Amino acid sequence: MPARPLNRICYVEDDEDIQRIVRMSLERVGKMTVAVVGDPTQAIAMITEFNPDLVMLDWMMPVMDGPTLFRQLKLRPETSALPVVFITARASQPDLDELKTLGAAGTISKPFSPKDLPDQLRAIWAALP
Amino acid sequence: MNHSTTANGTNTGLEVSTHAVEAEIRDRADPQQVLADRVAQLYRQMPIAIAATFIAGLIATFELQGRWLKELVLIWWGLVVAYSVAASLLLYAYHRSADKVTTAPEWLRWLGIAALGNGASWGLAGGVFFRSLSDEQQVFLAFLFAGMASVGIPVYAASWPIFALYAAGILGPFFYVLLTFGNRLFVEIALLVPLFYVINVAIAYRLTHVFHSGYRLRHAYGKLAQDHRLLNQRLERQLVELKEARRQVEASGRKLALFAERAPIAVLELQPDGTVAEVNHAAEILFGYAAAELVGGPVKKLVLAEFHDEFEHIWQQLLSSRESIAGLKIRNPRRDGIELTCEWTVTPLVNFQKDVIAVIAQGRDVTAQLEAERMKKEFTSTLSHELRTPLTSIIGSLQLINSGVMGDVDKEVGELTMVAERNGQRLLDLINDILDIEKIESGKVTLAPEVMRVDELVRESLVLNKAFGERFKVSFQSQGDIPQRQVHADRKRLLQVMTNLLSNAAKFSPEGGIVEISTEDAGPNVRIAVHDRGSGIPEAFRSRIFGRFTQADSTATRQKGGSGLGLAICKRLVELMRGRIGFDDRPGGGTTFWFELPRRTA
Repeated sequence: MPARPLNRICYVEDDEDIQRIVRMSLERVGKMTVAVVGDPTQAIAMITEFNPDLVMLDWMMPVMDGPTLFRQLKLRPETSALPVVFITARASQPDLDELKTLGAAGTISKPFSPKDLPDQLRAIWAALP
Repeated sequence: MNHSTTANGTNTGLEVSTHAVEAEIRDRADPQQVLADRVAQLYRQMPIAIAATFIAGLIATFELQGRWLKELVLIWWGLVVAYSVAASLLLYAYHRSADKVTTAPEWLRWLGIAALGNGASWGLAGGVFFRSLSDEQQVFLAFLFAGMASVGIPVYAASWPIFALYAAGILGPFFYVLLTFGNRLFVEIALLVPLFYVINVAIAYRLTHVFHSGYRLRHAYGKLAQDHRLLNQRLERQLVELKEARRQVEASGRKLALFAERAPIAVLELQPDGTVAEVNHAAEILFGYAAAELVGGPVKKLVLAEFHDEFEHIWQQLLSSRESIAGLKIRNPRRDGIELTCEWTVTPLVNFQKDVIAVIAQGRDVTAQLEAERMKKEFTSTLSHELRTPLTSIIGSLQLINSGVMGDVDKEVGELTMVAERNGQRLLDLINDILDIEKIESGKVTLAPEVMRVDELVRESLVLNKAFGERFKVSFQSQGDIPQRQVHADRKRLLQVMTNLLSNAAKFSPEGGIVEISTEDAGPNVRIAVHDRGSGIPEAFRSRIFGRFTQADSTATRQKGGSGLGLAICKRLVELMRGRIGFDDRPGGGTTFWFELPRRTA
C-alpha cells in the first residue's frame, strides 16, 4: 500500500455525461482532485502535466481505445509506473486477464455506482504494493 | 535322364495319390451295409444250392437204392428233403424279413448252419455208402462229391468261412473213408482231397474279398453320389441366396446413389490421391462447376490457395488415421470467385486390407450461418455497450442526487428522482439478465468452479440481500444450524442464484414476512432451500416457471419488478454446475424454492 492517501486522479473518457458524473463522484463523495481528458490522443500530455496518483481509462473510445492508450503509457518511462484502472461496459474475461498480466491495477465495470466509486478506487489503491 | 526321373517321380506320386483316394472312398462305405449286401448275395444263390442238392440227391437215391439197404438210402433221402425244406423256409423267412441290414449277422449265421447241414448230408452219404459200393458207383459218388464241392464255390463265394464249412462237411468224411479204405490208390486220392480243399477255400477266400471290396465300392459310390446331390442342393440354395444378396446390394446401392444425388448437401467421392471421382448435383450447384469440370481434376481446385498446405496436412492425417473427420470448416472458392465457408464431414472408405480406396466428403455451406452468428455477437455486444453507457449516466446522476452529496432537494423532487433511479436500475437488471441468458444459451459462460463451503455461501448471500429484503419489509433468516458442507461450484454464479431466489421470495412475501433458508443433505447432494409465505404458484404457471420471460401475471411484474428471466438463469446456472432446481408447495401456505448440488466429501 502506498504511503500517501489517494488524491489525484486523471480520467480519460469520451462521454461528457459520464465525465461529469465521475468528476462529481470523486470530488464530492471522495474529496479527490480530478482531471478529465476527453480526447485520448491528448491523454499522455495531460497525464504528464497533471502528474496523477492513478489513471482511470475508459475501454471504448473513438480514435484510440483504452487498451492502446494503456500500452503507450506502459512504454513511456515517465508514465510506466502509474497505476491504471479500466472502466468498461464490455470486456471479455480473456481481455481483462490480458490487461491484468500487462499490469492494469484493476477494472471497474459500467454501470458503476457514483456513491461507491471513490471507495472502489481506494480499495484498488490499498492493494497496490 | 533328368527328365525321365522327373516323369517317373510324378507318375509314382500320382499313383500313390490315386490309391489314397480310392482307399479313402472305400472307407466311406458303411460296413454294416456291406455285410448286408454280402448276405443278400448269399441268399440269392440259395435256390441254386437247394435245387442242386435236391436233384443230385434224387439221382443219388435212385442210383443207390438197389445196391444198398433200402431203408438207409430212404432215410438219407429224407435228410436231403428235410434240408431242402428247411433251407427253403429259411430263404422264405429271409425274404419276408423287414430289416435285412441290422439282422444281417444273424441271417449269415443261419445260412452257415444250413450250408454245414447241406455239406454234412453229402458227407454222411460218403461216410455211410462209399465202402460197400462197386467201383463204378464209387466213381459216381466221388464225381458227385467233387461236383457238389465245386458248385459251393460260386454259391458261397460271398462268405468263404461258409464255403469252408460246407466243403469240409462234404470232403471231411470222404477223406476219412478214402484214407482208411486199405487201397493204396485211394490213400493217394485221399491225400489229394485236403489239397483240393485248401485250393478251393483259397479261391473262395479271394472271391469273398472281391465281393467285399465290390460292395464297399458300391456303397462308397452311393454315398458319394448322395454327398454330391446334397452338395448340389446346397450350392443351389447358396446361389439363390447370393442372387438375393446381390439384388439387395444393388437396391441399396441405388438408394445410396439416389440419396447422394438428391441430397441438399454436396457429396464428393475422392480418390486417395485427391482426385475427384464423382460429385452430386448439390455440389455442382454449390460450387458452380459442372460435374465434368471437377471429375478427374484435383479437389484442391475447391480449396482456397492459401489453405492448400493446411489441406494437405489434414488429407495426410485422414489417410493415415483412416478415421472420419466431422465439422471441418474449409474456405472454398466458387467458380465465380466468391468465397464460401463450408462445413465438411470426410470419411475414408477402407477395404479388407485396410487400404483407403476412396474418401467421401459431405459438405454444406455455412457462410450465411457464420455471418448470422457474427451479427448476433455484434448485436449483443452493441446492446451491452450502447445501452449500458447511457444508463450509467442516468443511474449515476440520480444516485448522486439521491445520496445527498449534491445538497438537499425538495421532498417531492427527491421522491421522483428515487422513482427514476429505481426504474433505471430495473432497466439495467433487465439488460443484464438478457445478456446473461444469451451468454449462457450460446455456451459462452465459463464457470470458475472452486471448492467452497455452503454455510459460508448462505451467510454471504444473507448479508448481500439484507437491504433488498428491507425494501419489501421482509427479513431473511436461516433455519436452524447450517451444516458445514462443501460443493464444487462457481461462487459468483451461485451467489447470483441465491440472490435471485431471495429477491423473488422477498418480492412475493407479505409485508413483515420472514423468508427462511435451510440447508440439508439430499442423497449425494446438498439441498439449499428458500421458503416463503407468499401466495403460492398458480397452477397454470407451474409448468413454465423456469422458462424465459415468465411471471405469474403482468400485474405482478408491474408491482414487483423483475425481468422474468431470473429463474430461467438460475436453472441454467445450476444445471451447468451439475445440479438441479425445483419448487414445492409449503405446508401452511407459501412456496419453497430449492436447488441441489453434488456434495463433495471432505
